[in-house]
Amino acid sequence: MASPIPGFHSRYLRIDLTAGSGEPVPLAEAFLRQHLGGSGLGVALLLKEGAATADPLSLAASLAFVFSPLVGSPLTTSAKFAVVSKSPLTHRINDSLASSGFALAGKKTGYDAILLTGRAARPSILVIDDGKVDLEPADEFLGLSTRETEQALRGRFGAEFQTATIGPAGERQVSYATISHDGRHAGRGGSGAVLGSKNIKAVAVRGSHRPQWADPPALVELARQFSQKSFGPATAKYRELGTASNLLTFNRLNVLPTRNFQQGSFAGAAAISPEELGVARDRTRSSCAACTIGCEHLYGLRNGKGSVRLEYENLFALGPLCGIDDAEAVLEACRRCDDLGLDTISAGGTIAFAMECVERGLLDEPWLKFGDGPALLQALDLIVTGDGIGRLLALGSRRMAHEIGHDSIDFAPQVKGLEIPGYDPRGLQTMALGFAVGSRGADHNRSGAYEVDFSEAVDRYNVGPESAHLAVETEDKAALMDSLILCKFLRGVFTDFFKESAEILSLVTGWEVTAEELRQTARRIVTAKKRFNILAGWTPAEDTLPERMLQQALPDDTRAQLSADRLAALVRAYNLARGWSPEGWIPEAE
Amino acid sequence: MQVVVELFGIARARAGVAQTTAHGHCLGDVLADLAARFPRLAESCIAGRTLRPGFTANLGGQRFVTAQETALSEGDTVLLLPLDAGG
Repeated sequence: MASPIPGFHSRYLRIDLTAGSGEPVPLAEAFLRQHLGGSGLGVALLLKEGAATADPLSLAASLAFVFSPLVGSPLTTSAKFAVVSKSPLTHRINDSLASSGFALAGKKTGYDAILLTGRAARPSILVIDDGKVDLEPADEFLGLSTRETEQALRGRFGAEFQTATIGPAGERQVSYATISHDGRHAGRGGSGAVLGSKNIKAVAVRGSHRPQWADPPALVELARQFSQKSFGPATAKYRELGTASNLLTFNRLNVLPTRNFQQGSFAGAAAISPEELGVARDRTRSSCAACTIGCEHLYGLRNGKGSVRLEYENLFALGPLCGIDDAEAVLEACRRCDDLGLDTISAGGTIAFAMECVERGLLDEPWLKFGDGPALLQALDLIVTGDGIGRLLALGSRRMAHEIGHDSIDFAPQVKGLEIPGYDPRGLQTMALGFAVGSRGADHNRSGAYEVDFSEAVDRYNVGPESAHLAVETEDKAALMDSLILCKFLRGVFTDFFKESAEILSLVTGWEVTAEELRQTARRIVTAKKRFNILAGWTPAEDTLPERMLQQALPDDTRAQLSADRLAALVRAYNLARGWSPEGWIPEAE
Repeated sequence: MQVVVELFGIARARAGVAQTTAHGHCLGDVLADLAARFPRLAESCIAGRTLRPGFTANLGGQRFVTAQETALSEGDTVLLLPLDAGG
């Protein structure tokens, strides 16, 4: 094999779990330059595998842990990895990202990605030690929480191994189960269920292979400058308050989804805000490996039950969305989701949907009421045991609505099956477009279109087709960040994102990369995700929002109103801006 | 002319208050008034009569504004908040 390109190992490890063996597969330089790493490389590998047409929980399904050219470099926030598979929740592409030591150790195994296919004969731990593959029995870890599993594996394998684990939710193949590492989660879209379907409780990695960098002195100097800037005002919000500080802002702007998107503001918001929690409870900070921002804020639970990491999305989904202003219940729900291995947004969204179904008399579960903290906690437990209503809740809101019937799909809070994050699209209409066209469904991490709504560039209540290119731009930036990979909380530090990213990539790889090349790369990655979805059965009809959001204004802000026609015009403009057909099909030439 | 100012996120943390009043005929006047009264807020969020990078203002919860000449009316509510809404 030719010498690896700086920043890469120029090969991935393809593991057939049925056979219990792995083989290295070379990655050509042109292929890597076209797809980079993370999400971009992951989607390309899955397309090569034919994963789009396989059932996501079948023997033929593939799941890839994908590293990136920047992992292991001195660049702040670069210790990240992507988990890419077909989603059991949406049956569309799913790329979830997580951070920290697993990314560093995974890349040191000597591969740019680890792709799993087949199914282990029994519950197993997949061990990859410097590229050597082994399957060890996992029976003693079954039923353990993500946190307990990670601790137990550290005891068994030693601290040099880094592990990515599933919790009981992944073992039961709950459609929105996570893969967890070091308290962070590849959260959305159910990658934990895919790993569970392969009989893998955890992946443990260790290695000693470090790729070269093309220009180490210049890279170290650039990294130093970025670290310096990352201590500045562009990241102060994350460092000092955490993302949870969005809560009161969104509440004031009437875009805080409340009671299953029936309202855009929540009377109990102050009681669960970080401003209030920070006064009443212990608060500590933490950060991922190789990160200078330190966005994680942990709040203490009562009665010595430890502390829990609180993000805006957890807080909104398990608080206002379910009508709950009991801080202890919300924090305990966050902890329980982390331990069970459940995506908080989908768990909260599905439970909130069920609460509204109960309110409307469509479900006979009178205990499951908006505002009831103990009921929320009970529902989370039932999702994982599968008892009672838990079987339905484990399906996610879309499939649950299909079972319930009675037009409940009209108020199921999802796009393509993925529950909508904490931005009411009626009052943030560029984001409405971002949600509608998102390749993995309603998604605030793959489209940052809310940034446009929070600016003078548009009237957020009346966004027109001429603004579609702004949504495209945020999606392209996200695709590149997710493939390099760098944390999105760093984005305010860049002055000219594509130009500076090109400089970084050039110093790592030695390629003469330009901003324009990276713009093309980002568009290629977005198109590859679309191609995957088309192969998986995508149709234009799914690029929309729940009917309620197209029929009803927010009662607390009547300017926040969309219509099916207006959203369709935005989607059409977006498709044309991407160079696709007005309906969203990719021209054959691409 | 007096307006109500509501502060969010880092702006609130720096000013130490959630709400205050300020005087001025335009956004620049109001920012200068706030900067004079809340030095820590000015250090992070306000440079003279303009917002520092990373911050924005909003009128009445409806329209985002940053231009210092943005005209204000008696009783208007100005929100001061971080630009970055990611989470």
